[in-house]
Amino acid sequence: MTQPKSDAQILCKNVWKVFGPRPEQVRQLDAGLTKDEILAQTGHVVAVKDVSFEVQKGEIFVVMGLSGSGKSTLVRCISRLIEPTDGHVWVDGDDILAMSRKQLRALRRHKMSMVFQHFGLFPHRKIIDNVAYGLEVQGIKKAERHARAREVLELVGLAGWENHYPGELSGGMQQRVGIARALAVDPEIMLFDEPFSALDPLIRREMQDELLALQKMMHKTIIFITHDFLEAVKLGDRIAIMKDGQVVQIGTPAQVVMNPATDYVREFTKDVPRSRVITAQNVMQPPPVVASPTDAAEAVAQKLARFECVAACVQDEQGHFLGLLPREHLADPPQYNGDDLQSLLVDDCPTITPDTLLVELIRLTMNSDAPLPVINKQNRLAGVVDRSMVMAALATPAEAADSEEKPTLQ
Amino acid sequence: MINWQSLSSRAAVNKRDILALAALFVIIFLLPLLFAQLPLNVSHFPEALNLHLRQPIDQFQDWVVGHRATSPAFVYFFDPVSDAIDWGIRRAEDFLLGTPWPVILLAAFLLGQWAGGLRVALLSVAGLVFMGGVGLWTESLQTLALMLVAVLISLAIGIPLGILAARYDRLDSLLRPVLDAMQTMPAFVYLIPVLLFFGIARVPSVVATVIYALPPAIRLTNLGIRQVPGATVEAARSFGSTPRQTLVKVQLPLARPTIMAGVNQTIMMALGIVVIAALIGAGGLGREVLISLQRLRVGQGLMAGLAIVFMAIILDRISQGFARQELASTNRGAGRFVLLPQSWAKFGPARALEGLLQAGLRQAAAFARLLADGLASVAGAGLRLFGLNDAAAALASQFRRHSFFIGAVFLLAVALAVTAVFPAGDFPQAWQFDLTRPVDNAVSWMRDNLYQIGDLPLGTGPLSDFLVIYGLNPLRNFLQNWLPWPLVILGVTLLVYLAAGGRLAIFSAAGLFVIGLLGMWDMAMDTLSQVIVAVAVTALIALPLGVLSARSDAVELTLRPVLDLLQTIPPFVYLVPVIMLFNIGRVPGIIASVLYALPPGIRLTNLGIRQVSHSAVEASQAFGATGRQTLFKVQLPLALPSIMMGVNQIVMMVLAMVIISGLVGGGGLGLEAVTGLAKNQTGRGIEAGLAIVILAMIMDRATQAWVKRRQKYLK
Repeated sequence: MTQPKSDAQILCKNVWKVFGPRPEQVRQLDAGLTKDEILAQTGHVVAVKDVSFEVQKGEIFVVMGLSGSGKSTLVRCISRLIEPTDGHVWVDGDDILAMSRKQLRALRRHKMSMVFQHFGLFPHRKIIDNVAYGLEVQGIKKAERHARAREVLELVGLAGWENHYPGELSGGMQQRVGIARALAVDPEIMLFDEPFSALDPLIRREMQDELLALQKMMHKTIIFITHDFLEAVKLGDRIAIMKDGQVVQIGTPAQVVMNPATDYVREFTKDVPRSRVITAQNVMQPPPVVASPTDAAEAVAQKLARFECVAACVQDEQGHFLGLLPREHLADPPQYNGDDLQSLLVDDCPTITPDTLLVELIRLTMNSDAPLPVINKQNRLAGVVDRSMVMAALATPAEAADSEEKPTLQ
Repeated sequence: MINWQSLSSRAAVNKRDILALAALFVIIFLLPLLFAQLPLNVSHFPEALNLHLRQPIDQFQDWVVGHRATSPAFVYFFDPVSDAIDWGIRRAEDFLLGTPWPVILLAAFLLGQWAGGLRVALLSVAGLVFMGGVGLWTESLQTLALMLVAVLISLAIGIPLGILAARYDRLDSLLRPVLDAMQTMPAFVYLIPVLLFFGIARVPSVVATVIYALPPAIRLTNLGIRQVPGATVEAARSFGSTPRQTLVKVQLPLARPTIMAGVNQTIMMALGIVVIAALIGAGGLGREVLISLQRLRVGQGLMAGLAIVFMAIILDRISQGFARQELASTNRGAGRFVLLPQSWAKFGPARALEGLLQAGLRQAAAFARLLADGLASVAGAGLRLFGLNDAAAALASQFRRHSFFIGAVFLLAVALAVTAVFPAGDFPQAWQFDLTRPVDNAVSWMRDNLYQIGDLPLGTGPLSDFLVIYGLNPLRNFLQNWLPWPLVILGVTLLVYLAAGGRLAIFSAAGLFVIGLLGMWDMAMDTLSQVIVAVAVTALIALPLGVLSARSDAVELTLRPVLDLLQTIPPFVYLVPVIMLFNIGRVPGIIASVLYALPPGIRLTNLGIRQVSHSAVEASQAFGATGRQTLFKVQLPLALPSIMMGVNQIVMMVLAMVIISGLVGGGGLGLEAVTGLAKNQTGRGIEAGLAIVILAMIMDRATQAWVKRRQKYLK
């Protein structure tokens, strides 16, 4: 089957994975049944149920779910380490499920590599030979693959450890080796299966930061599996939340936090420091009063009075933001020449970008009563943020009463 | 489906047990009385039901004998295989016997040093010197040659099969029962067919050894590969490894320790059959043991037996050394003692000696490196002449890495050259020592003085009488005469059902009936009575000793060398003094079986108790339990599966001894099998062998199933 029109690098459509003696018969059952019902009726375990999503090039796509939600099975279906029961997976337009063993090996060797939860290192090989493994199975000469492995080890901060064995390294260092091994083949796509969950919290945070730093340099397409919602929020450009084999919600961290699709998702969002997830673009609103420099001062003043605003945003005909026009400047014009508002503008007012974090907005709105203009990359006015909007976003939405789907976080 | 087993409460289980016991009582005591009133004779299995299986087998044997020269199966398969094996043995023997003895000693030293360090090296030399010293140099090397060939063949078949079995579950489940049968079948059973098909010189003994030693090679290779963590294999796959790359680069290296343990087991098994193989022409040490057994020459038998023990220990340590080498290389630090126990480090002289030894070893290593570098530079210069600079560099690093090997080869070459100029001749007469006579004297003294101590009812004679009068005779009488055969089958079936469930019970009933069909009923009952007595005596000794050694390290340490010796020494060796002390009959067989079966019984009991989780013991102590209370209320119940595993081992070892007991007057199935072998009556031997296998399988499966059930409870 050819890929539907999409510019995504990875595209999963209606992927199923059923474990049991006759998985294909489960697929014929009504998809409306829950995992438990299917288990009770047929004895089959549905690990992944009708999952679809896309991952864009250069994006970190996080799949978050508790244990048993099917996330690890899902990521293995993408490289066919586990054979999906049904559905389609396209990578760069190639149908993975139609590939021969040989094509699949080529894909795993060159395009896609994986980092494992318990590192999956080879205990009998030196660090350098662990890192060079992917190149070795490709048949690359020893000198060349060792040179490349050394480069990558340097990148993850393990230069000098080449000739040690995995058992001699700490957990964090072992996972650096795991990452180096995955990077060594220079893949376009990296699959991370709960890579940091076996590490101490401090090391985990350090590794997350390093992953983000690495990603800034390399722009890989990453699918990252985790059971830690905070990790998902921190790393993900977008997050898919899974429960019982199904995707419950897909969205940016802020979207998920601001608008949880179900009570199940809401439970996770409770622990999230909202001020570090939500950005200006999530809370901003259209400016109530927009003026152009040629407008009459009286008209602007009337409008401001009507909307009870303290300042108007002024932009030129092309929509470029020029500055704020505070109400008091109109009431008591310092040097108003009668036909141009330009001279009344405060053009050095603080402005913010759409991805300014809420935590920053708090600080900024504390200092001024005026709304903060949100200016996008094209120097256009995208909206404004004021103190009341910030406060509203900070307030946790009302708790859902007696949700049946309360996740248990250990 | 509902699992009634798990639903039934404890009370219900007890109720079932009581019912079953009542049924057993009825079967054993009341029904026989009833049967006695019947006009039929049911105490013996009806002769009319005898299948006379031996007739077609004997006919087949006649056919084989008649067509050996013409049948294509022989011309194109068995004979070429035989010839190849025969050629292999001859080459190996010529090689070992053609090498001057000092060179062999040096080679053993170097091999020991390479595999496991100085201790193993010196042990190897000592063992060989002993073999030479007691005048068994040639015999020992003959045995070694035969062993090497048999082990090589076993590994060449076993390791690939193990790899395949790890890869294909179907092959694994196909092989499993075959391996089970191979391991439970007494070697005697296949001696006869092997003799029939591979009739050339020492070839049958090699084939029999291969059959005997093959299972651990297959099993442990399979196990080792399957034990490689799934995550590691998955990681290899995720990088696009082909199945072959995964096998060679990941699975085999990680399975190496287990595979090496399999190699070690194979070698040990092969040595374990040395004496039996001598029955069909193996020669060497085994033949020495057999001859001295026939002539009741204890001393000579003991020397040959000890030579076998030494060979077993040497080969064990060397192969174990190779298995452990990888682990050792990382933690073999300076200052670790190479010869003396590390705990002697507090004594000055010990430190001085060790310092000297280590300096010597360092010098030797430095010399080897120098030699390797020298050779590499010479060879490298040659390669550079042809512009092969990379090859020269690679050669230098390879030589340096294998400098020990190069140094060893150099030393051996020098030794060969020296012995070529000054022939070493045979192992020097002057070094020989005679231990035979003192041993013989000691045994004669024991026979004269221990058989009956004064006028007291003490000594081996009264003990033997006691066993016969109060144990063997009543039991045999009970099984053969009191219980009609249908009731024996019923009773055994009931017992197996209680221990292991319905399927195995049906299997047991069928198996016993087949024994009857084979015409082996009475002899099987005779053997069964002996087995029961031997198992009971062994268990009575082994279990308390096991408990004691679990509770006291001192007891364990004292027992360990004794058990090691008992496990490695061929049972034939102690059969001779046992016969002299107890007279020919059923008792020496039983005593020998007990000695043979004691070690696993003691070891598994000990292990089971020691393996009981420390927290359980601690919890018991925290509630103020005494040592005895902890033992009976916590340790023993938790160790029960392991102890039952010990009982299972006892049963199997005793059954393995049935034939050997038959040799010394035990009668029963063992004698029948031996007679079949001796008189070349293949059918008779196979009938008896099959009956032994059936008995063994019933007892093995029943006890193991019981253990498994119990283990499930404890999880």
